[in-house]
Amino acid sequence: MHMADALVSPAVGGIMLAASAGAIAYSTYKCKDDLDEKKIPLMGVMGAVIFAGQMINFTIPGTGSSGHIGGGILLAALLGPYPAFLTLSAVLLIQALFFADGGLLALGANIWNMGFYACLLIYPLVFRPLVKKGITKGRLTLAAVLSVVLALQLGAFSVVVETLASGVTELPFTAFVALMQPIHLAIGLVEGLVTAGILLFVYNMRPELIEASAHNQKLKSDLPLKKVMASLLIFAVVVGGGLSLFASSNPDGLEWAMENVAGTAELESTGDVYDTAESVQSSTAFMPDYSLKSSEDGSAVGTSLSGVIGGGITLLLAAGTGALIYFVKKRKEKTA
Amino acid sequence: MTGISESMSTINSLEELADKKTIIHQIHPRVKLILTLLYIVLVISYKPYDITGLTFYAFYPIILMVLGEIPFMPLFKRLLIALPFSFFAGLSNIFFDRQAAFFIGSLPITFGLISFFSIMLKTIFTVMAVLILIATTSMPKIAYQLLSFKLPQMIVEQIMLTYRYISVLLQEVSSMYTAYILRSPGAKGIKMQDMGVFVGQLLLRSFDRAENIYMAMKCRGYDGKFLYAKPQPMIKSDWMILLMTAGLLFLMRFFDLGLFIGNFVR
Repeated sequence: MHMADALVSPAVGGIMLAASAGAIAYSTYKCKDDLDEKKIPLMGVMGAVIFAGQMINFTIPGTGSSGHIGGGILLAALLGPYPAFLTLSAVLLIQALFFADGGLLALGANIWNMGFYACLLIYPLVFRPLVKKGITKGRLTLAAVLSVVLALQLGAFSVVVETLASGVTELPFTAFVALMQPIHLAIGLVEGLVTAGILLFVYNMRPELIEASAHNQKLKSDLPLKKVMASLLIFAVVVGGGLSLFASSNPDGLEWAMENVAGTAELESTGDVYDTAESVQSSTAFMPDYSLKSSEDGSAVGTSLSGVIGGGITLLLAAGTGALIYFVKKRKEKTA
Repeated sequence: MTGISESMSTINSLEELADKKTIIHQIHPRVKLILTLLYIVLVISYKPYDITGLTFYAFYPIILMVLGEIPFMPLFKRLLIALPFSFFAGLSNIFFDRQAAFFIGSLPITFGLISFFSIMLKTIFTVMAVLILIATTSMPKIAYQLLSFKLPQMIVEQIMLTYRYISVLLQEVSSMYTAYILRSPGAKGIKMQDMGVFVGQLLLRSFDRAENIYMAMKCRGYDGKFLYAKPQPMIKSDWMILLMTAGLLFLMRFFDLGLFIGNFVR
C-alpha cells in the first residue's frame, strides 16, 4: 500500500502533502488541549511497536500465505485518534527514509491513505459509536473488523485515484479498482480479525486502556469532527486548486522552453499547436486525459531511435563520471 | 525472522554511513533536504514518454553516492522494496499502451514500453535520492531541520522517540518470536489465532516500558518539552552549494542531453 515517488505526479504529491500537513497540524492542536505529558513517551514507544509489529508474519489458516498488521485502528483504539494519527505519521516518515517503503514526496499520500482514514475518519465514526454502549467481546470484534476493512477500502481506493490522477499508469480505472478493492477486502478481514484478537487480549488484561480512548476525554459531540472535515476539505480544495493550476501551466512552459533550447526546428510548428491544445485541456480538466497521447510524442521529442541511443549514452556517461571520481578519490587517498 | 534482523542491520548500517565525514556529509542538512525534494519533484515532473531528458538526472545521484562514499548494496535492497509495485504499474502500460512509437529494425518499440522504462528510471532515481539523504545525514539532524521548517514540535518529538525505540522494540519482538518458534516446531510463522496474545503481550510490555521511560525522563527534569541543541547555521559554502546545485538541476530540466547526444551520434 505504500506508494513510491515514481508513481505520483508533483501536483498530486503536493496536494496530498498539504492535506496531510493540515491533518497533522489539526491533530497537534487537538493534542495540545487534552494530552498529558505522560502520553508523549507512550506514543513514541507505540510507534516503535507498530513498526516492529508490522514485521511479525503470521500464517493465515487454510492458505499458504502470511500477513502482517497495519496498525491504524489498533493505535487509535489504544491512544485515541489524534495521538494515533501523529504516531502513525512518524512511523511512515521513518519507513520512507530508512527503508524506501513509500517515497518522500508520496509521504503525504501515504499518511492520508493509511493514517487519516483509519485514525481520524473510521475510528471516530465507526469504531467508537460501536463500542460506546459498553465493551463486549462481540462488539469489540465487530468494531475492529468493520473499521479495519472500511479503512483499508478507502485507502486502496485512494491509491487508485492518486495513481490515475498522476497519469503514470495506463491501467483503466475499472480494472485498477477491480484489482485493488477485493485484494484489500481479504487483507482487511484477516487484519481486522487479528486486530480484534489483540484488542480483546489487551481489554481482558488492562480494560482501562481501551475504555479511556473509547469514551474519549473531550470529544463531546460530533461537532468538532465535522469542523475538522469541513476545514480540511476547504484547505485541500484551495491548496489543490492552486497547485494543480500551477502544475498544469508550468510543465508545459518547461516543455516549450526545452524545445527551444534543444532546437528541434522540424517539430516546432506542430509542437506549439499541440502544446496550446494540451495546456487548455489540462487546465480545464482536473484529471489528465490520455486521449492527447499523440500530442505528447510531438512535444516529447525523445521518442525516437536517436533518443534511445542518446539516453543510453547519457546513462553510461553518468556511470563513467561516477567511476572516474571514485578512482581519482582512491588514488588521492593512496598518495596521501 | 529475517525481516526483523534485516531491518535492524539496515538501520545500523545507515547510521554508520551517516557518521562518515565526506564532503557530502559536511553539507548543511537543510541544503540536503531541500535539494533532495527538488530533485524528486523535477524527476517525477517528466512526462511518461520523455525518457531521454530523464537520463540526464542520473548524474546527480551517481556523483553524490561516489563523493559520499555510499556503497551500492543498500541501494539494491531498497530497490527490492520499492520496485515491485512500480514494476507492475509499469508492466500494465506495456499491455495497455501498444501503439508503436518507432521501430528498431523490424522490432516495434511501443509507447507502453517507453513509459515502463520511464517509471523504472524514476523509481531508481527517487529511491537513490532518499538513500543519499539518509546515508549522509543523521536522523537527529533531519529532525532538527523539520523543526526549523516549522513542523509542530509534537510530531518531531514523535519521530525522534519512535526512531530511538525501534531498535529496542525490534530486539524485543525478535526474542519473543524466537521463544515462540522454539516452542512450536515446524511453524512457519505465528499462528493467526495466537497473534492477539502475541502482539497484546508486546503492547502490555511496551506500556510498562513507556511508563518507566516517562519516570526516567521525569527524573531528568522533563516537563513536557524537549530540549534541543541548536543546529549550526548555514555558512557561505552551504548557500553556494544550494544555489549552484539547484540551478544546475533546473538547467538539466531544460536541456535534453540524451537526445542531443543521440542526434550527434547518428
